[in-house]
Amino acid sequence: MMRKLLSVLLMLALVIALVPAAFADEALEPITLTVFRGDPGEAPAEDNKIYKLIEEKFGVKFDFEFLVGDLDEKLGLMISGEDYPDLFDGGNSADKIIQAGALINLLDYVNPEDTPRLWAHIEPQKARLIEKDEDGNDVLYIIPNYGLTDGPQIANEVGGPAFFIQKQVLAWAGYPQIHTLDEYFDVIEKFLEANPTNADGQPYTGFAILCEDWRHFCLINPVQHLMGRPNDGEVLIDVSTDDFHTETFIDKPYAKPYYQKLNEEYHKGLISADTFVMSYDQYIADLSNGTVLGMFDQAWDFGNATAALRTAGKDENTYVALGLIYDEDDVEGVLPEGWTIEEHYLNGSLPNVRRGFGISVNCECPERIVAMWEEMLSNEWQLIFNWGIEGEDYYVEDGRLLMTEEQYKQTQDQEWQKHNKARAFFESSPKKQGWILDGEYEGNCWEPGNQPEIVKGLMTEYDQKFLEAYGYSKFADFVNPPIELAPYGEAWQIDYTPVNVDHTEFLQIQDKRLPELIMCDPADFDAKWDAFVEEITPSATAFGDFMQQAVLEEVAKVLG
Amino acid sequence: MKKSPNKLESMGLTVNKRSTLKTLMSQWQLMLMSIPVLLYVLVFNYGPLFGWSYAFYDYNNGLGAKAKHPWIGWESFEFLFGRKGKDFIRSLRNTLGMSVINLVLGTVSAILLAILLNEVRNRKFKRTVQTVTYLPHFLSMVIVVSMAQNIFASDGPINQLLLGLGMAKEPIPFLSDGRYFWGMTGVINVWKEVGWNTIIYISAMTSIDPSLYEAAAIDGAGRFQRILHVTLPGIKSTFVILLIMNIGHLLEAGFEIQYLLGYGVVQDWSETIDVFSFRYAFKNDMYSVATASSMFKSVVGIILLVGANLIAKKLDEDTLL
Amino acid sequence: MRASKKQSAATLNIPADAIIVPKKRQDVVFPIVNAIILIILMAITLYPVINTVAYSFSDDIDALRGGITVYPRVFSLHSYDKLINDSQLYRAFLVTASKTIIITVLNLVLTSMLAFALSRKEYPLRKPITIILVLTMYFNAGIIPTFLWVGKKLGLMNVYWVYIIPCMFSCFNMIVLRTYIAGLPEALVESARIDGASDFRTFWQIIFPLCTPVLATVALFVAVGSWNSWFETKLYIQKGKNLKALQTLQYYLQSQLQTAGNSGSNAAGATADAMKNKDAVTSTVAFRSAVTVVSSIPILVVYPFLQKYFVTGMVLGSVKG
Repeated sequence: MMRKLLSVLLMLALVIALVPAAFADEALEPITLTVFRGDPGEAPAEDNKIYKLIEEKFGVKFDFEFLVGDLDEKLGLMISGEDYPDLFDGGNSADKIIQAGALINLLDYVNPEDTPRLWAHIEPQKARLIEKDEDGNDVLYIIPNYGLTDGPQIANEVGGPAFFIQKQVLAWAGYPQIHTLDEYFDVIEKFLEANPTNADGQPYTGFAILCEDWRHFCLINPVQHLMGRPNDGEVLIDVSTDDFHTETFIDKPYAKPYYQKLNEEYHKGLISADTFVMSYDQYIADLSNGTVLGMFDQAWDFGNATAALRTAGKDENTYVALGLIYDEDDVEGVLPEGWTIEEHYLNGSLPNVRRGFGISVNCECPERIVAMWEEMLSNEWQLIFNWGIEGEDYYVEDGRLLMTEEQYKQTQDQEWQKHNKARAFFESSPKKQGWILDGEYEGNCWEPGNQPEIVKGLMTEYDQKFLEAYGYSKFADFVNPPIELAPYGEAWQIDYTPVNVDHTEFLQIQDKRLPELIMCDPADFDAKWDAFVEEITPSATAFGDFMQQAVLEEVAKVLG
Repeated sequence: MKKSPNKLESMGLTVNKRSTLKTLMSQWQLMLMSIPVLLYVLVFNYGPLFGWSYAFYDYNNGLGAKAKHPWIGWESFEFLFGRKGKDFIRSLRNTLGMSVINLVLGTVSAILLAILLNEVRNRKFKRTVQTVTYLPHFLSMVIVVSMAQNIFASDGPINQLLLGLGMAKEPIPFLSDGRYFWGMTGVINVWKEVGWNTIIYISAMTSIDPSLYEAAAIDGAGRFQRILHVTLPGIKSTFVILLIMNIGHLLEAGFEIQYLLGYGVVQDWSETIDVFSFRYAFKNDMYSVATASSMFKSVVGIILLVGANLIAKKLDEDTLL
Repeated sequence: MRASKKQSAATLNIPADAIIVPKKRQDVVFPIVNAIILIILMAITLYPVINTVAYSFSDDIDALRGGITVYPRVFSLHSYDKLINDSQLYRAFLVTASKTIIITVLNLVLTSMLAFALSRKEYPLRKPITIILVLTMYFNAGIIPTFLWVGKKLGLMNVYWVYIIPCMFSCFNMIVLRTYIAGLPEALVESARIDGASDFRTFWQIIFPLCTPVLATVALFVAVGSWNSWFETKLYIQKGKNLKALQTLQYYLQSQLQTAGNSGSNAAGATADAMKNKDAVTSTVAFRSAVTVVSSIPILVVYPFLQKYFVTGMVLGSVKG
């Protein structure tokens, strides 16, 4: 009898023990998501506090893999094996994995009812983000990692393309206004004449042109900016025309003055032949060294050099972005009909379409990831990702989010980030940017680096004096304010894969010929230029025609 | 564990004579030792030939499950040799160029070193030199290439030496200027393999009849004359055989050096057919074109080898088979 | 003056194998020049290796300055310290070592058995099998078709066995072994047979032990090939999780080298925000050098002891190859 009772009790105990498990929130069953990032990076430390929070709250752990080597090749290999990670960021070649059918359609999970925050996040840019697949269905593969910003555009400095010049050159010349190519090279020439070497006796380079691999945009992109357009990649678009007239610019007569100018400067010794075979590492090393006076580049491309110069206290060797345009004399008679040159280096903010995490078809729990993103778009989580933990990483005063100098500095330290930031995950996830529009911290910035108090606090004495000399309040004042984004966005975002062969040829000819043109005997320049135009015309035409079509399609999509 | 005759017939062997059958039955152990490997070779060495079919179906937009893959006939080959096949023609040129350089440099350096070693009387010294020069052969290409990157860097020892001796005014961009690439592969290959390549020549030299040297010496021939008139003729047949075999491998310029060293700026000069195939497959998703280029290389390779073999036979040397 | 020099040369101690005849001047100078050339050659061969070792024992920061030659400027064990705590490297070492051992053993057993079977003149399948096998030395379906076959059709993606299964047999090694076995006295096999030994026993107890020298050669060839390979990992191991678990040493090294410079992407325009947060992740030159040293040591320690054997093996293989 006793025994029976005991066994019944035992059974009961067992049932009681099991029931909660069976009814427990299924979503909390711990899982590990495999993650691929299409750029190089480093896995977080085991004890990272943000990932710990995520694990506690969502029961999710991550297993990261970062790109090593060539992205297209890596993606090609992954596609051929059809073995995809759960969260898949194809970097700049995401088009490739989308085409291979590696990603699920997020619209199966994202909608106003189930995921109000995500929906509100993408809704304003819906037209750009949601595409049609072959069968005409609405699809969304990737929620952009950047560019879906709230509130007025923040433009404290030029983050993209510009002609850069060391601050000391302008200071030496008495803070002149520089707006044209001639003025730009003139001031560098004069500075170089007066100061051939720096204080350590290392010679200065007048103008560097990085040509390595995909970074050859430093060589091939400037003409469109000199013509007064923001970055459309390798085409010039006339937004004033109804058909958004699109053409490749490198083969047009208005491209010639720029390269002729470079040829001239090459023979004056401002440009060295080394520059054309320089590796990216070397380039960054030279810039960090403070011996390069000027270059055309995009600010993010040499961020490491800027950071190194700052750390070394060489503020005078950091760069200021100038918005150079052609002088009317330069391009007299070769401008397209009705074209007027007006400087526009800054563009309206644009969603980073098709960049960021997609969820792969191999993922077993897409709804759980989407639910997690939904929760993470809350103010609470966005603060954790952007600012960290209150009291530890930042403090609040009168409703303002603030960091001490020490706190801000540590956020820039890679080693610290490994333990205290969830970069590898957050960078590719949907996120809020710009201004906080609701809740208790309304009126603050999402990103500490944009918060006005912090921007002001970080400004060095040298920079303050420099700006004062010009009567500017921020470095973006050197260029015109952003214009409204054209309906097609920025044309470099367009997927070129259908004209891959022509496009590759188009780029290869430029890679080869432009350095030759810059280095050739000035007497031969005209003949060589004509030969170049003849050589590149077939591929340029094929690529240009494709882009014209693609731009129109994009416009039609966005304007409806 | 007995093999039935049916089994044998199903393997495509016609066994006519009873006695042969009997012999075979009694040799089941020999068969057990050889047939599994034969099957293995059929699967792993002959099997990939089925991969050639990818050249004839449209896999030029990736292998994706979504896409359809219609029959495209010889289109991939037309691509290779058509207007858009510039890259391929270039890779063919690079393959041949680097092959020839490797062949010439490799052979000449190996023979020279073999002669020098052959003239060394001190056995210990000779062995030391051999051991040391074999070393690079055992290093992986990944390591060799990374060493080359250090040695030939613009601030590396070679450039410093050249600048120091006044033989160059500014650092020579050995690795970033395509025009040096063929030469670089030649130099790297020689460094890696020269010791190893001497093995065969030295063995050929040791089999030269010593009395020939004696006779030459008595005739008053010096070292150089003995090398010229005894050693070199003594290795002639080895040289011819190896040369012919290498001509058969003319399309095997390699993959590793070119893949590891051949980034962007030097691609025009570095890309061999194998690298081309790899790039077109995984980077450009054009699997049909990539397969076609692989196939072209294999077929031409077979023709070259068979041709080389026939020539060798004609020359009354040992056949290569 | 000249005559007297000749005289003295003639009375020098001359090795027994040299021929005693009046020496010419070149006969005296040559050995010295020769020795100098060979010493320089050894220096050229060893310099990159020693340089790498010097870097590996250098202080991280100091090594970045470059210019280290054959000894570290600032000695530090930091890189080796880091290396010991690198779980990925440890894992890669295990994967590489285990696959090398398995492949070597499998190759030795399969290849020697086959070589024995194919050396038996009374075995009627000898000719056809040999032809089928030797043909594989003539062609190669190519990188892409092979990948499509092994990876896609046979499904050997993301598994450890992809290192082993496709590499179990090499025809070249089989020929080396067969030539060697054929050179053994026939009487050995005959007498074993008279004693009633089966083919297996004859092979295992009589032939196999006699093949030790050539087996050592084959083992070295196979082991070196396996140890130094990295491309299989690149091609067949794609899933991040498996990659961490299954990468080989050389692949790990290669990825370390690549992270140093390359960030490979194509569009000229990722947005400012995306790039602002991106830093180059670089492994230091000292650490890479340490990985290089560790990953090449096992082979470099072994090969000098096998020198005698592989020389014989190379000669056997090339004569009949």
